[in-house]
Amino acid sequence: MKRAIASAAKTGALLAGAAFFAFPFYWMFATAMKSEVDAFAMPPRWVFAPTFGNFISVIRETDLLARMGNSFVTASASVILTLALAFPAAYSMSRFGVGGRKLLMWLLSIRMLPPIVAAIPLFLVAAQLRITDRLFILPILYLTFNLPFAVWMLKSFVDEVPKEIDETARVDGCTTRKILWFLILPLTRPGILATGVFVFALSWNEFLLASIFTQRYAVTLPVSIASFVTDQGVLWGLLTAAGTLASIPPIVLLFVFQRNLIRGLTLGAVKG
Amino acid sequence: MLTVPKASGSNTPLRVERARLDFLRASRFYACFKKYQMVAPTVTILFALTIYPMVYMVWISLHEWPIIATLPRRFEGLEQYEYLLFDRSFWDAVCASATYLTISVTLQVGLGFAFALLLSVGGAGTTIVRLLFMLPLFISPVVAALIWKFMLGYDLGILNYFIRSIGLPPVNWLGGEGMAMASLILVDVWQWTPFSILILLAGLASLPSEPYEAAVLDGASPWQTFLYITLPMMLPALAVVVLFRTVDAFKMFDLAYVLTRGGPGDATNVLALEVWRRGFFENQMGAAAAISVFMVVIALGLVSILAKLVKI
Repeated sequence: MKRAIASAAKTGALLAGAAFFAFPFYWMFATAMKSEVDAFAMPPRWVFAPTFGNFISVIRETDLLARMGNSFVTASASVILTLALAFPAAYSMSRFGVGGRKLLMWLLSIRMLPPIVAAIPLFLVAAQLRITDRLFILPILYLTFNLPFAVWMLKSFVDEVPKEIDETARVDGCTTRKILWFLILPLTRPGILATGVFVFALSWNEFLLASIFTQRYAVTLPVSIASFVTDQGVLWGLLTAAGTLASIPPIVLLFVFQRNLIRGLTLGAVKG
Repeated sequence: MLTVPKASGSNTPLRVERARLDFLRASRFYACFKKYQMVAPTVTILFALTIYPMVYMVWISLHEWPIIATLPRRFEGLEQYEYLLFDRSFWDAVCASATYLTISVTLQVGLGFAFALLLSVGGAGTTIVRLLFMLPLFISPVVAALIWKFMLGYDLGILNYFIRSIGLPPVNWLGGEGMAMASLILVDVWQWTPFSILILLAGLASLPSEPYEAAVLDGASPWQTFLYITLPMMLPALAVVVLFRTVDAFKMFDLAYVLTRGGPGDATNVLALEVWRRGFFENQMGAAAAISVFMVVIALGLVSILAKLVKI
């Protein structure tokens, strides 16, 4: 009897938790699929005729698609740039111990710095060079958090490849570049993919730097959505539609690659 | 490039040997150069993106520095810092940040640990439940703030509908000073508790089973098992969660920016917002930089304390 009550309480707590964490998503999606009358009905309508009207008008009437394009270019460029720089660095740090613990801790402390702090001086420099509001500026700035993250994460994956593999290849006359490209890269592919997914999601979702460094042309999705929230706080149908569209790519990506999620969240400090 | 000097004419063993040694030394230098070559771009770029701005920031903080380049800059020495010492709105921001950080991280770690323990037991449908738990982690804080701003609305928000339907008066979530901070913490807890759940679940899964078997044999109660076995063994994982969440809560900007803009009044004006407001809104880059210096010092302090606890 006592056990039955305990297990019922456990299930209840779990269901309550799942509802708490998932309900806002349902509510955003449901509101996006409602007509304006249904969205503002009080008491809320749980059964309603779904419509894509909000999605169609947010795409037709605002520049959301263009902003999505900007976000996509920014995030993809971030992934390529970050991986190209971080992978050799992670290899070298893992195999030759370059920089040692000091370098690792320096990277960690960069990850911990508040981005607003670097934003002010960098903005003044960028404004002087007249390179704000260009598409290429964000991927470069995002290296500030993407690079330390990617190096830590990739290093934890390279560490797992036995050193003997490199040594054998080296004895057979393989150059470091070849070892990197033909041995380590294929062996750590899941890790590289996971790192790429994280970098994509981080860059896709980033708001602060994007809002400071872009004004008109290179504006990304979160900045555009945030400006909707403050300017036209009542158009909840359009807003929730925009929010849904903005959430789809990272959710899909992370669901597909959930295997290395935990490692990504802690820069490899905890392995799941 | 590297070439082995040919021992022309007389090929005495000594010359060959010397040439061989030169070659070895050169190639070792080259290999050494190569391994640094792989790290150098990363280090250079991060240096340019962090160390250089930091130094520049300290320099700015010693000036009165309007954002518009044509307005004059004036060297002030440490005046900005002196001014900050007695600046009400700065200290309010420090308090707001401290309140937000402490309550939010405590709740996230506590709730996260509780849910991790529940989820670690397993059972039917846990995979789906787990995935539902993780959803908030994936979206932009801007979108999280947007959903909650809608749900927290006074008249049309779903939360007040639930509250009214159980017969209580509606809550002015984002209007009252205390409630606005509570709402901010609520949204942060919603978005980031899944982070602690995930990490702590991974920690629980990696615990060895022998101590538990021994505890069963010794007839320990579930509470004793938790207190004397699970908790001590989970301390490292808990420390990792606290480290990451504390530092991220300290940097938080986007959530507060969209949800409350620091208001009402200065109730949710956390430090990151204060820097932004001073720099880009009130045109005082010098003051913003001085607060930034303060934030860097605090952030590095937090990291060094927590990193010692975590031992990474």
